[in-house]
This record gives sequence, structure tokens and C-alpha cells, in this order.
Amino acid sequence: MKKKAYVTLALILAFTAIIQFYEPVYNANSANKYSMIPRSLYWGNQGDDVKRVQDKLLRWGYYDGNIDGVYGARTYRAVRRFQERNGLGVDGIVGPSTAIALGLPEAFAQPVSAQGTSRSADEYLLARCIHGEARGEPYVGKVAVGAVILNRTRSPQFPNTIAGVIYQPLAFTAVADGQINLTPNKDSINAARDALNGWDPTYGTLYYWNPATATSKWIWSRKVTLKIGKHWFGI
Amino acid sequence: MRKRRSWIAPSILSLLLLLSVVWGYNQYNIRRQYEVALDNTYQRLFYDVKSHVDKVQVNLSKALLATTKERNVLLFSEIMNEATSARDKLAQMPISHNDTVATEKFLSQAADYSYFIIQKHMEGQEITPEQRSALKNIQLNAASFNNELNTLASRLAEDNFIVGMANAGRNQGNEGQPTNAFVTSLVNMDKEAAKAPELIYDGPFADQMLNRKPVGLSGKNVDLEIAKNAALDFLGREMAGDIQVFEEGENMNEVRIPIYTFQIASNNQRDIFTYVSVSKQDGKVINMTTPRGVNQKNLSLEEGLKKAQEFLNQKGFDNMEANYNLRYDGTVLYNFVYKQDDITIYPDLVKVKVALDTGDIVGFDAAAYYMNHQDRNLNKTALTQAQAQEKIKANFAIDSVRLALIPKGKEEVICYEFKGKYDGSDFIVYINGETGQEEQILQIIQNENGTLTF
Repeated sequence: MKKKAYVTLALILAFTAIIQFYEPVYNANSANKYSMIPRSLYWGNQGDDVKRVQDKLLRWGYYDGNIDGVYGARTYRAVRRFQERNGLGVDGIVGPSTAIALGLPEAFAQPVSAQGTSRSADEYLLARCIHGEARGEPYVGKVAVGAVILNRTRSPQFPNTIAGVIYQPLAFTAVADGQINLTPNKDSINAARDALNGWDPTYGTLYYWNPATATSKWIWSRKVTLKIGKHWFGI
Repeated sequence: MRKRRSWIAPSILSLLLLLSVVWGYNQYNIRRQYEVALDNTYQRLFYDVKSHVDKVQVNLSKALLATTKERNVLLFSEIMNEATSARDKLAQMPISHNDTVATEKFLSQAADYSYFIIQKHMEGQEITPEQRSALKNIQLNAASFNNELNTLASRLAEDNFIVGMANAGRNQGNEGQPTNAFVTSLVNMDKEAAKAPELIYDGPFADQMLNRKPVGLSGKNVDLEIAKNAALDFLGREMAGDIQVFEEGENMNEVRIPIYTFQIASNNQRDIFTYVSVSKQDGKVINMTTPRGVNQKNLSLEEGLKKAQEFLNQKGFDNMEANYNLRYDGTVLYNFVYKQDDITIYPDLVKVKVALDTGDIVGFDAAAYYMNHQDRNLNKTALTQAQAQEKIKANFAIDSVRLALIPKGKEEVICYEFKGKYDGSDFIVYINGETGQEEQILQIIQNENGTLTF
């Protein structure tokens, strides 16, 4: 009996030790996975890399559409099915781990060019912020949120990069509570594109708030110009 | 047996207690590590802001003394740099935006104004007395900001001062009262900065640029009924179902283009809506967008372009020339610019989005067009094409040349536009047709979605 007690004690001590030296691994990967430079493929992408993904998925029986190099609904569903069966994170995005599982690590070897400029990282970041802030809103309300962020980058009162505006402390609740790390849906991505392509439904406003939940007194001193869905937009 | 068991429960419980104490202590340690790391970051930002503002102030006083343009150009580029860094770092501190609005604006405009002065010097102009007094004002402002920062620096020795500030900033919204010295001090500074007179100059952050109004809209204001009809006519009444207007705020008239925004349901497809915005002045359709998925491609890019062109003609936009396009998700966004006397007028830009499945127009935006379009008197340029071409780097392989009007601050300048290749990349170089100055260089990026310029 004593032996048993010792065993229990040893086990508990071991457990304690594990807890003591356990460093919680905050998923640095999941926070950074969208900002990396090699291109992740997601809804709306086009190109030869999409074709390669479709070809693999077709041969393995996940995909039933044409190899047209357009990342549409069918490709999205096929990627999700593939991810589900292979124990990957099911987000419908071909990131590094999915590409490697597909046997396409070279898809992430960025073509080296003298140009080397791209706006897809900004586009995706903006889409995530729109998704976090306004996913329940009508489409025009999503574009308006994206446009406010872009208007801020052009205003002297705010940082002049998209990331600078989005991650400005205390600026967006979706950033503070981590909702920005959700995977944006197609609507949010399209809204980000429309905003980047110059559609500003608010014609130059810098602020929006939800009158039902806004906690800052100061925001009420802003001038209201337009109300879309739950959000009020103003300057 | 009974006796033996009596010690088991208490010992397990005490072990559990021990366990949770150890766990809690561990958590506490981790939390402290994070706190210290965060505090260090904020402290660094604070000291950085302080040294940047210091340099802005010192360099400005030097610039007011300096007599040569060459010296001034160097000083002002440093001021621009330091002011931008100060603004960037200030925006990263955990202070609520409303406490630093005016300060950030002041720093942005100081940088922007320096750039403006550099440009003036490059063109061979001296600083005017008005510009000198504006610079004096900026310098005084920077000096008072610096004083505030100095006072704060001496109090920063207090432990956890800045992390405390982060929390204060967060709670402040609820209580309405700044809760610590740091925030109070910044609020004071901000009030001072807000009193600064408006800077009059030509740059993207100048107040006159920010408050620009559309020059392409001139008529009277229209009421809601007329605007509604304009929206329905534009979309085509046979397509339109139920129409609703978005509620506007009381200050609608203060935005760049005051508008009515409508949401129009499609009369045959339930879940498809079209958004149309109609300007209050003149009752022109500024934007129309139908967000819908496009899964098939039945039209080529050229056929799509033809549809877009037809649409513009039908809506009364004449002399529009197709420029570059962007392709997404079965839709193509075509950019059209206005042409007058064979000169491409870039500010007058209209965008048309075509769905390649049915050839329907799913997007239209003329905000830029109405912001800028006016009757222009375009004179013959002083320089000939050959003279302009001499200004271009010798090994720039020119593909095409034409005349174009491009925006420059609040002005527009007529330029020779040289498209070509340099070192494997595509560029557009603009040479001023009057002065021969290199006004603008754009790099063209081709990607799978189309063409972008940077």
C-alpha cells in the first residue's frame, strides 16, 4: 500500500513539475500566418499556382471543376475537404502547411522579380479587419469600414500605413479582442478590394461607431454624416 | 483498512492545493514578464518620440538661421524624417486617439510642410516671409511639446508608469476624465497644438487639400425624390425592385461629396442588391455597385471592355479612353480617363466593373471624375516632344509617348508621358511640358490580376 502512495506522490510531483515548467505556447504561427511574404492562396486568387493546386486536388478526387486557375467556390470547398481529411486547420486557404501537404512547397517559392511589389498582404489585412469589425453588416457597410481605414492612412491625424491604422492602440475593438485573426469570408475580401480600388461609400469620413455599444464619450462629439446598418459614420 | 484510507483524501487535497499555488505563481511570473516587456516597449517609444521632437525643434531653429538653400534642403529633409518618426511612434503608444489628434496632425503637417519647402528650394525659390512665420510657429509648437515631454521624462522613473497609462487610456472613455499625469500632459499639448494657425501650402496633408470640394458638380441641390429617380433611371427601372435610402447624419453636407445612398433590390433575384449613391448637388450618380458572385466566364476581356464602353456612352460620358484594368473573381474593373484635344486627363477618372458571365455592369464609380472635371484651357506646350525626351535617362527604352495632364498638389500640370522599360521593369516618366522638370515616375506592376501603378 505504501508503495502505491509513493507512486501517486511521484506522479503528482511529476505533474507539478510539468506545470511548473510549462511555458504556454501562444500560437505565434496563427497570429502571423497571413502576414508572411510568400503568397497564400485564397478565394479570388488567380494564376498558375492556383492551377497547380487544382490539378493536385482533381487527381486526388477532392476537386470536380475545371483547371482554370481561378480560386472560386469549388476550389474553396475542395481545399476545405482536403484540409479536413488531412487534419489541417480548415480555413479554405492554401498556406504553407496545406501547400506542403499537397506536395507543392515550391508554390511558396516567391518568383524573384525586379518588381517585387505587391498589395495582396495589405488587401488581406484589410479584409481581416473588415471581417472582425463588420461581418454582420450589409456589403456597403463593409466597404465603408474599409474606406474609413484607407481614409485614415491619407489623413495627417493618423498613421499613414494600413497596418499602422489597424493596429493603432485602442482604435478598433476587433483588434483588441483578437477577432481580427478570424478567417475573412469572401464578402470581406471583396469589400477590401472594392475599398482599395477606390470605392468610398462615405466620401471621406474618418470615424465610425456603433451607437449601441460605443463606450467612448468623445466619439459622440464627432459629426455624423451617414448611417449604414448598425454603424454611424462621421468626421 | 479504514484507518489507512483516512490520510489519502487530505493528502491529495493538500497536493492539489500545492499544485494550484505553484500554477498560480507560474502564471503570475509569466504575466510579469509580459508586463515588463510591454513596459519596455512603451518606454522606448516615449524616449524615441522625445528625441525626435527634440531634433525637429533644433533643426527648425537652425533652418530659420541658415542662409543657403543647400543647407536648408538638408535641414528640412532631416526635419521631415524626424517629424514622421515622432508621429509614427506617438501613434503606437497606448493613448486613446482623441488625446493626440492635434499633436499627430501637427507632426504630419510639419513633415509635409518641410517637403513643400524642399520642393520650393529645388525649384530655386527662396522662403517667403509668410512661410518663415509659419516655420516659426511650427518651431514654437515643437518647443512647447518638447517641454511637456521633458517634464514627463523626469517623472518616468515611477515603476510601471506607462503600463498604468495603458489601463488609464482604456478606462478613460468611460469616465471621461484622464486619470494620470501622462495623459493629462498630452491632452494639454494637444490643446496647444489645436490652436496653431492653419498652414497654407501645397501638399497632401494641407488643410485646403483635405477640405477640397468637387469642381465637377455645379448645379443646384436636388431633393430626395429627384435623386431617387436619378438612381432608378441609372440602374434601369426594369431591373429595380424595392428601393430604400440609407439614413444620413445631420452633418452630411460636410463630407467631400454629400450624397444620398440607396439600396435597390433586384426585381428578379431576391438576394441581390445594388447600392447607388447620388450627389445632392446636381443629382449625379457618383457610384453604383452590385456585389454578386460571378462563377462563369463567358466573355473575353475585350468583349467586357466593349460592354463598359457602351455603358459609358449610354450614360453620357464621351471622350473616355480605356486605361488599365484589374481582374477579380470573374469581374473586370476597367479604368477610363477623359481625353481632350488628344491629351489624356488623368484626374478625370471613371471606373466600370463588368461581370464576365452576363456582361452586366456591376460597378461604376465617378467620384474622381466629379471631384476634378472642369472645362480646361489646354495650351500648346512650350517644349517639343524631342526637347522633353532629352530629359530622360539615356538607356530608358521608350515604348510610347503622349501628352497627359496629371495632378500636382492642387494644380494640374501638362506633361509628356513616356512609357518604357528600365532594368527589366516597366515605368512611366512624366516630363513637364512647360518647364522640362521630371514631375513624376510611376512603376507599373503586372500581376495575375492586372496592372497596378506605384
